[in-house]
Parts: sequence; structure tokens; C-alpha cells
Amino acid sequence: MGNQKRIAIYGKGGIGKSSTASNVAAACAEEGYKVMIIGCDPKSDSSITLLGGRRIPTILDLLRQGVKVTEEDIVFHGYRNVRCVEVGGPEPGIGCAGRGIIVAIKTLRDMCKEMDDMDLIIYDVPGDIVCGGFVAPIRKGLVNEAYVLTSGEYMPLYAANNICKGLRQIDTRLSGVICNSRSVTREEEIVRRFAEEIGSKLVAFIPKEQIVQDCERDGFSVIEKAPGSDIAHVYRDLARAIMSNSDSALPTSLDDERLRELTR
Amino acid sequence: MAANDISIIHPRPSSIVAALYTLRDLNVDVAILHGPPGCSFKHARLLEEDGIHVVTTALDENGFVFGGRRELSSVLEKVNEMFHPKLIGVVGTCASMIIGEELHEPVMDADLDVPVIEVEVHAGYANNTKGVLLTLESALDIGVIDREEFERQKVLLEEATEVEKRHGAASKEYLAPSRGDLKYKVAQRIIELLKEGKKGLVIMNAKKETGYMFADINVAVHEVASRLGVSGNVVNMANLDESLGLPRVRDHARNIMHDLKEKGVQIHDITGGLDEYPIAGHVVDELIAKKYADHDFAVITGVPHAIPMDHISHMEIISVTNGPRQVVPLKEMGHRHVVVEIDLHPKTLGVNHIVESELGATLREMAKETLDCSA
Ligand SMILES: Nc1ncnc2c1ncn2[C@@H]1O[C@H](COP(=O)(O)OP(=O)(O)OP(=O)(O)O)[C@@H](O)[C@H]1O
Ligand code: SF4
Ligand SMILES: [Mg+2]
Repeated sequence: MGNQKRIAIYGKGGIGKSSTASNVAAACAEEGYKVMIIGCDPKSDSSITLLGGRRIPTILDLLRQGVKVTEEDIVFHGYRNVRCVEVGGPEPGIGCAGRGIIVAIKTLRDMCKEMDDMDLIIYDVPGDIVCGGFVAPIRKGLVNEAYVLTSGEYMPLYAANNICKGLRQIDTRLSGVICNSRSVTREEEIVRRFAEEIGSKLVAFIPKEQIVQDCERDGFSVIEKAPGSDIAHVYRDLARAIMSNSDSALPTSLDDERLRELTR
Repeated sequence: MAANDISIIHPRPSSIVAALYTLRDLNVDVAILHGPPGCSFKHARLLEEDGIHVVTTALDENGFVFGGRRELSSVLEKVNEMFHPKLIGVVGTCASMIIGEELHEPVMDADLDVPVIEVEVHAGYANNTKGVLLTLESALDIGVIDREEFERQKVLLEEATEVEKRHGAASKEYLAPSRGDLKYKVAQRIIELLKEGKKGLVIMNAKKETGYMFADINVAVHEVASRLGVSGNVVNMANLDESLGLPRVRDHARNIMHDLKEKGVQIHDITGGLDEYPIAGHVVDELIAKKYADHDFAVITGVPHAIPMDHISHMEIISVTNGPRQVVPLKEMGHRHVVVEIDLHPKTLGVNHIVESELGATLREMAKETLDCSA
């Protein structure tokens, strides 16, 4: 696989995984990398800001209709040619979303030749790894690096810590911790300490900026809609950090006592 | 994009079971079902008659919720100690696959010195041949079979699926099972035809080990014809090529040929290997067009619906199947008489000689009666 990056971004629900993923994807594409983003969330909102606000048909939508799915049906070209794929899923409360991811990922892998050419593939997973299906990309050997996104608040850190526990269990190395700020005091320091104590490092501190949500509302990434903004530069730096990162380690989760201490 | 095929509502053979039988053909010593204890119970039992051990990780409610990685690795260790296998198969089930179980991780955990064929399969595929294909793919991955054999089998599987769609169990939304025609009436008719000096073909087109029983019909017709002094009127064809298929399948062909020879039955034309029933029909068709177009009747056994009707439609056709749901489609194809050998498959597991069929037994008995009366 050489220098090809296959990453997944984990973190508490709503912490900013999808916006971070799409901004990183856009920034890498600008640098000339071949990028694909695969939304593994039944909400299927991972690629929307790369497609000018457009929703694309999901793999599972098509499979449900019982049609033979081809590459053109599910891989869409967004901003700067970022390949966008949405797995989709059943209606909330019905069926089995985890199995959906397994089936969709297999379908994609079997027929999408382009995947092999990509410099970067980002798997955007939902906040809670509720069952085996949600780690399918890792377990099927499609992901070789994981990142954890958190703020400096207790609950997101608690979730990040749990994720680290899970990663260790499935023998997956962590490549870094990203802080998506919620403007908590001493936030950068807290997350940096957390990262170090679990045996990893802080790779970026993304400030909380209204412009992220404004661009998103119009259906765009910051990189596309506000390329000159400060936060666009932060995403570009993060993108470079990810593309050049070669460190990773099996994370060691902290006990709850220590976690509370950190945030106090 | 093509829409799905018809939705078939009668239960059909399962891909999990197909994977188990394929593992048996690959000569695994143990197959482990990773799933609920009752899954594939009946076939698991039958396969033990055939000399392989089938065990289960027996996932329960807790297993469904928490996964069964530890259960599978400990069963792997256990069977290794109990049976000292040289080759192991691990087979998924609906339950373990839906919850996203990985078969590879527990195999790594157990870390045995024995190669393991991992088959991630469940029973939810429209065609059970998918189970065979998945098994062969993993066997190829770990080098149990070579690419050439894999490609050969793949073609056969695709053709088998087509055969079932055309005139088999997948040809209609619902097929009612049927016991077919009464065996004594059909036996009587065969004897009549032979007595009248009619020329007949006995064509075995059997799937693997089922040949042990279908070949008995070649034997029985031969015996009756000989007693009537018309054995020259009967031509035998069979898919018994001893040089084709997986080792176990070749063994079956060899065993059956050996018995046939011993019983003095000549097979005039070999139409393919015992796993070539989906394509051997075309060989039969050509042979008939070339050499036997003038024959009056044909007894076709095994997978009779794989024989094209092109050059036999003018003949009186008697077909013998082991599928009760196959009766209606065969009649619709134009087969005059259809006989079902109920429960044939279990009787052909774990054997290495020809096994008597019910139709064969009936033929022998009735021939005795009619000949003794007229004597
Ligand atoms: N740095 C930021 N500054 C301001 N708003 C942000 C920032 N990052 C994310 N957001 C906003 O937070 C909200 C949630 O983000 P997002 O949907 O990316 O989260 P998520 O982790 O993907 O959620 P889920 O777990 O539900 O998929 C969005 O409205 C997004 O615009
Ligand atoms: S539903 Fe699937 S797992 Fe359950 S018994 Fe049937 S075949 Fe086995
Ligand atoms: Mg998201």
C-alpha cells in the first residue's frame, strides 16, 4: 500500500467528525492528492459539504431496490474531484445498520477499482461504535490508521477514552488525537495531556468558529467557501500532518479517576 | 442495472450447508459452524456419516449480544486436541455474520499448526451455489486448490445456477413437492418397452455422491434387458470421468465405475465428471444427435432437467430425481414419467459402493415375476 493513507476518524457523536473529515478531504484534494471519503453513517451526511449540499444515492438505497450496483451508481465526484460514497442504512429503529455497513463495504470493495489508486481514503463513522458492523472497515483490513477527535470536555474525552479501549481490543493503532475545540478553558493543554497519557500525540487544535457552520449551512466546506479564513489554514495544516504522519501506537486507555482529574 | 429475479417462496437448500458439503469435498477433517447450536443440524449429522466431524460454537443469546470470538478460538483448540485434524473448515451462519463476527481473528487467536479454510457465509443468498463459491474462494486463498480447478468449478456453479433457474427448483415462485409416479407402474412400462424390442438410453447425470444410487438404475435396466435377451438395445451414458473434479469426487467416479464393470454393465459414453452435471447435458445432447437419434425411450437419472430436450423430445422419457419439487418442472419439460427416489442423498453418504434404488429394486422384482410367469 506504500504511502497510501486509509484512515478512520472516531469520536463522540456530534463532536465534529464529519466536518473535520470533509475539510481534510478538501484540503488534501487541493494539494493534488487523490481522495475518497466514505460515509459509514446511516445519516449519510459525510460528503454533503463536498457536493454543494447535494445528497447522493447511498449504496444501501440501491441494494434495497435490488438492482445491480455499479461504480458509477455510487461513487460521485465532489469538490476538486474528491470521490464521495455514502453507505446509508435502514430507517432508525428498523433492521440492522451494522450489517448494512458490512454489506455495503463489501459491495464497494468488490467493484470499486478506484479505491486502489487513492492516496487518501477517509472512513467517516458515526459517533458510537454500537456493534461489530461499525468497525467493519477496520476489521476487513481497509483502514490502517485511526484518529480520535475530542474536545477538552469530560464527556467527549470519556468517549475518546472508550474508543481507545476498543481500538486496543481489535489491535488497531492510533495515529493521533485531534482537538475540535468547544472553547473550554485550558482545552489544548487538557487534550494534549490526554493524548500523551494514552501513548499518542495531539496532531491539531481546531478552534470553534461560526464560519464552519455557516459554510455547512450553504452546503460547502470551509476550504471551498472560505479558503482564506484562519480555520481553513488549520484544516490545511491538519491535512498535511495526516499525509506525512508515520507514527502510531496501540493506545492505553486511562481509568475514569484520571480522566476526571484531567478535566478538573 | 437489472432488477431481481422472481421471488421464490418454497424453502431451498442453504448456502451454509452447501459450504459444509464443499468442505467435505475438500477433505477437511473437521468443520466448525460458528453460530447457534441448531443451525444446519440435520446435514451436520449426515456429514458425520461421511467421515467428517461437524461441530458448533453454539452461540446463545449472550453470544449474539457480545460476540463469540473466544468461543470460536476455544472450539478450534478443542477440536485440534480431540481429532488431530490436518485441515479444518470454519463456517459462518446468519447469526454470526449479521453481528459482524470475524472468522479470521479467532483463527489467529487459536494459532494452530493446521490450515483453516474460513468461509464467511450465511443462509440468505438466493442461490445456494454461493456457499460453494465462497468456500472455494477461501480454499484458493490458502492454497488448498489451484486457480485452474477454481475457475473450472466456477463455470460449473454458474451453469448449475442457470440449470435451476431454467427448469429446476428456482424456476417458479412456488413448486409443490410431489412423490411422482408410482414406481411399479413405471417399472412395468420399462419392462414393456424392452419386451417390445424398443431401443433405449439410460443416462445417468448425477451430482457427486448421489451417483452411488442413480447408477443402480443403469444396473437394474441392464439386468432386466439381459434377462429378456435385449441388452443390445440399451445404451448407457454416465458422467463418470475419473480424471475430473476434486479428489473425493474422482474417488466416487472410480468406485462406481468399478462396481459397474463388476456387474457387467458397459458404459458406452462417458459424458463428464461427477461434478459436471450442469454441463454434461450438452454432451449428452450432442451424442444423441450424432449416434442415438433413432432410439425410442430414455431413462434419465440424477439431474434430468439439465439434459436439453432438443433431440429427445420424440422419445418416451422416464426421469428419476431425488427432488420432490422437481416433479412438476420435469413433467412440464415433457418427461412422460417422473419417479422420485425419496431420501436418496442420506443413503449415499459414507458409502463406496453402488446402493440399491427403489426403482431398481422394483424393476428387479417385477422382472422376476413377469419372466417367471411366462416361463
Ligand atoms: N470547529 C468547529 N467550529 C464550529 N462548529 C463546528 C466545528 N466543528 C464542527 N462543527 C459543527 O458541529 C456540528 C456537528 O458536527 P459534525 O456533524 O461534523 O459532527 P459528527 O461528529 O460528525 O456527528 P455525528 O457523530 O452525529 O456524525 C455541525 O453543525 C458542525 O458544523
Ligand atoms: S437462520 Fe441461519 S443461522 Fe439460524 S438456524 Fe437458520 S441457517 Fe442457521
Ligand atoms: Mg458525522
